[in-house]
Amino acid sequence: MSQRWRLKLEKRDRVSRGLQSFALLIASGVAVMITAALIAATGTNVAAGFGALWSGAFGSWRTLLASLTKSTPLILTGLATVVAFRARVWNIGQEGQLYAGAILSYWAYRAFQGQPPAVLIIIVIAAALLGGAACGLIAGAVKVAFGVDEIITTIMLNYLIGYLLSWLLSNPWRDPNSYYQHSPAVSDAAQLPILVEGSRLHLGFLVAIVAALALYVLVKMTPLGFEIRAFGLNSTASQFQGTDVRSLTLLVMLISGAVAGLAGGSELFGIHHRLKADISLGYGYTGIIIAMVASLNPVAVLPAAILFGGLINGSLKLQTVNQVPAALVYVIQAVVLLSLLTARAITSYRIRRVQSV
Amino acid sequence: MFDNLLQTAIVVNLLAATVRIATPLLFGALGEVITERAGVMNLGLEGSMLMAAFVGFLVAERTGSVLLAVLMASLAAALVNLLLGVLAISLDADQTVTGLAINLLSSGLTLFWFRAAYTQYNTAGTPLIEVMGDLEIPFLSTLPVVGEVLFSHKILTYLAFLLVPLVSFLMYRTHIGLQIRSLGEDPRAADMAGIPVHRLRYLAVLAGGLIVGLGGAFVSVGSVERFFPDMTAGRGWLAFVIVIAGNWKPTRILVVTLVFSLLGAIQLQAQGIGVQVPYQVLLGLPYLVAILAMIIGRARSVAPECLGVPYTRE
Repeated sequence: MSQRWRLKLEKRDRVSRGLQSFALLIASGVAVMITAALIAATGTNVAAGFGALWSGAFGSWRTLLASLTKSTPLILTGLATVVAFRARVWNIGQEGQLYAGAILSYWAYRAFQGQPPAVLIIIVIAAALLGGAACGLIAGAVKVAFGVDEIITTIMLNYLIGYLLSWLLSNPWRDPNSYYQHSPAVSDAAQLPILVEGSRLHLGFLVAIVAALALYVLVKMTPLGFEIRAFGLNSTASQFQGTDVRSLTLLVMLISGAVAGLAGGSELFGIHHRLKADISLGYGYTGIIIAMVASLNPVAVLPAAILFGGLINGSLKLQTVNQVPAALVYVIQAVVLLSLLTARAITSYRIRRVQSV
Repeated sequence: MFDNLLQTAIVVNLLAATVRIATPLLFGALGEVITERAGVMNLGLEGSMLMAAFVGFLVAERTGSVLLAVLMASLAAALVNLLLGVLAISLDADQTVTGLAINLLSSGLTLFWFRAAYTQYNTAGTPLIEVMGDLEIPFLSTLPVVGEVLFSHKILTYLAFLLVPLVSFLMYRTHIGLQIRSLGEDPRAADMAGIPVHRLRYLAVLAGGLIVGLGGAFVSVGSVERFFPDMTAGRGWLAFVIVIAGNWKPTRILVVTLVFSLLGAIQLQAQGIGVQVPYQVLLGLPYLVAILAMIIGRARSVAPECLGVPYTRE
């Protein structure tokens, strides 16, 4: 009797750590190749291009500090994504929540600017958390009360917050002595202290690291974290176990929004020292990519965010030295995400030889 | 008498602007509805549209041909959709994150390409393209009021409105339309009935992309002489909302689109009408209404049963 065999593609039950890392490696390889192709397409020597990218990112002590500074808001928006996506709550409104945090913290600064520096800084940071949390909570509430997809609400809120900011800067909070539409600079007392002399690395970076550790503990070690993870893995099962889906959704959106809002306050009082329309250059969206690269692990967000922060600075150098548009960094980010999705999808299958009947 | 004339002029302008603004939203929503009916959620709609807008601008600027620009724009969006299709249909990737990735890719790639192609110009001095001309329908366009409101538009506008009954017919009166709808409702049953699930889903995603691309073309070649980064400015997202609020039905999609477009037109004509609010309020209004539309429409809308769920044979 002759036996017939054929190859069959089937889904793996679980994907091992090693395989996940392999997927990340493949994705990075693809991203590097596409980056090389784009650099070459602008007529720049690829090796020179990568050289500029590296030296602008981590080439010296000074640029390393600058990249850490750049990574600060990215760590926070990445963490905001981790908390939400872990529970399969699709908050993609980090950009709007970041600005909501910036807006409320600037309002708090105006209201309490007479306070001593330490008090004032605590107040503005608390306000940033609150602004982001409120913005996240709106989307959560609309979902819980009316069943509206949080994807839509958070994106719409991004646009709405954008117009609110534009109005605030064009009228009530506009710096009357400037041609540009931004607020007057905040006083020295409200500026976040610098951590390393001669750099712009500020207190926000420490806050971001503390946030990462705190969220790691929250997600991995607390009952709430267990509930979040369980809900993300199997929402039906956790409902049977008595998880209150509505309050969990609200809580997740609140925490996620608060962390994103913190990014806004940190950038305002740590870097720009005034409210502007370009406090964030898409940091909310970059945070989503970072969270995916970090496999939704709060601690892994740190190196991922530092890498992406470095990429932003590196691409700026690439633009100055080699005239390659700095927008390259956005393409790299998207390519990393797309190739990661592809690699993860492919590694979730295996090929088996099965007997034909 | 003079007052009356002025009021008529304002109303005519308002309605004509509504029809114009509806054009890209209709293309976007009709393209998306075909894709979603087949069970694939294209959250990258904004990205497909933006890519089309850019390619349209680029081709128009390089060749001077508006027709070629529109065709290439349409193809570009189909290509972006194809990328989404590979991930969503063949690789079972999460469609939310995939769609988001597509948006980020388009946003980044168009910006990079635009800057790379026009580095020699400063921002103010980028080259201009020739905008598509109006096609005034003979006789009809000379009618008072309706002539200007309905029959003095770009050819793409007529096409967008014509697509409403066409897509409706395709979906509800043809065999292939029935097959496509079955993919969104119950792909397993469709598979058992011998319908090639994956192949037909690809077809729907590509066809949807071609239509969405026309919307992108209208935003650039059909409207202005320049390209701006992120120039679709949320139209794709609004179209996405319109599909849901329109209950995945072409005719209701038309109604919802017109409501959103009227809001947009009011914003444009605010000064003429005498609306005294900050322009940011009017610009933000459609997005607020979108949330409200979702709240109201959600209760009455029924999504395709298996929307966003990848299909694999056991």
